[in-house]
Amino acid sequence: MTITLYHGEPNGPSLTVLAALFEKGADATLERIDLAAGERHGARVPHAMEVDHSIEGEGPVLVVDGIPMADSVFLACYLDDVGPGPALCPSEPYDRWRMMTWCRYIVERVAPAAAYLGVAANPPARVPQGVASVDLAERWSDAVAGKIDDARRADSHDKIVQAVERIERELSDGRDWLIDAFSIADLESYAWLAGMTELVPEAFADRPRTAAWLARVMARPAVARALAMATSAAPEHIWAPGPEINRWG
Amino acid sequence: MAETPSVTLYHWEPNANSGKPMLTLFEKGVAFDSHYLDLLNFDQHKPDYLAINPLGTIPAMTHGDLVLTESTAIMEYVDEAFPGPRLMPDSPVDTWRVRWWMKFMDQWLAPSFSMIGWSVFVGPSVRSRDPAELDAAIERIPLPERRIAWRKAISGAFSAEEMTESQRRVAVGIGLLEQALGQREWLASDSYSLADINGFNLAYALPLSQPHLSNDELTPNIMRWLRAIYARPATKSCWALGRTDMARRVTILEGEPA
Repeated sequence: MTITLYHGEPNGPSLTVLAALFEKGADATLERIDLAAGERHGARVPHAMEVDHSIEGEGPVLVVDGIPMADSVFLACYLDDVGPGPALCPSEPYDRWRMMTWCRYIVERVAPAAAYLGVAANPPARVPQGVASVDLAERWSDAVAGKIDDARRADSHDKIVQAVERIERELSDGRDWLIDAFSIADLESYAWLAGMTELVPEAFADRPRTAAWLARVMARPAVARALAMATSAAPEHIWAPGPEINRWG
Repeated sequence: MAETPSVTLYHWEPNANSGKPMLTLFEKGVAFDSHYLDLLNFDQHKPDYLAINPLGTIPAMTHGDLVLTESTAIMEYVDEAFPGPRLMPDSPVDTWRVRWWMKFMDQWLAPSFSMIGWSVFVGPSVRSRDPAELDAAIERIPLPERRIAWRKAISGAFSAEEMTESQRRVAVGIGLLEQALGQREWLASDSYSLADINGFNLAYALPLSQPHLSNDELTPNIMRWLRAIYARPATKSCWALGRTDMARRVTILEGEPA
């Protein structure tokens, strides 16, 4: 089995997958790409329908024996299946359900909000060539043009506040991690929220359990190793168009 | 021997999100109590059901003392927690592909189908009722985003731009489904999986609802796939729980290829 991971700066979905790879000790070749310059759409990265139409937006691409794969939570699940390291998913079906519904919440509600605010604060320079998905191409054009909708910005802000409230509530029984043992839920939540502490500081004010949880995730050797791969001074400032904000509101 | 915890599924028609765990339970051969909720009568926002699922979303499943929501996550739970045929592939890459397709359908394609479905079916079905009564029913919906969706469906307030975008996505999605089903027998792997169950619930009425985009000439692989799923005994048992004309649309698949 030959695995290559094409990843961007350790922020958002690239951080999830890099950290999962290191947690699991899976053997892979790492290829750095500039997601914020749209390099995923160029000739250097293998293409497949599942990458071109991934609704995650700009995320890492994992190529396994020539098959290009996308979507950070499911890439982490894949690495959990094949890597030798400690499990990143609970073993009991009900706890796995808890992890998958939590990740769905992050992917569907929190990630679009974080990407919207992140791109608004750090707009990409130009729209890349060759974006196959029409709606992703539109998010690129809007991001480059600085076309930010006030209602969406306010809603995204609220989504971050609600996510932190939810984490604070979740950890109120004194647990260290979101689903009992450390899991992909911690990685995915951290990866999208780490850059929000600066952009939505009020969401994190007076949230001691969330602050301690963020510090615990950051202190994990695999996460520290992923963050140390940054080529920019502040990887949490590097954003590219992400998942769209739910069309139903 | 300890008594096996019982399973109750709270669902609407065998269709979309309700049909996903229903068909999964039938495929696994899990006995369950079926608790039908009439979505158009807002049963899902009444106190009896809110006591089970305070968010008021359909479906929900109880297994002993456990309460589970979110249809796709329930499907994975059912596959893992009960004996019966495995509905996830053995290969980790194929497992990834099953999840990829379920996410693509749940979060990109299905909302477009459902915007069209609500504007032509759900909205008109409830619009004729007493406005004050409807308003009160909507106010009881716990999730703000569902309140907005119901108001839009009832007033017919999806913009032309939104409807055009939904139609574009339906056309793109049909093309991608046809492409994938041209590459392998089932949607995500060489074995029948949760991706097929999910996809059937989204697409079973395609030849009726989008006849200009999906038919034996244009999408032979989609048609082959839908007929193969319809032929399964579990599918027949599941669709027998339907009570409305919506679920009866599935009989379009009884026709032979043109």
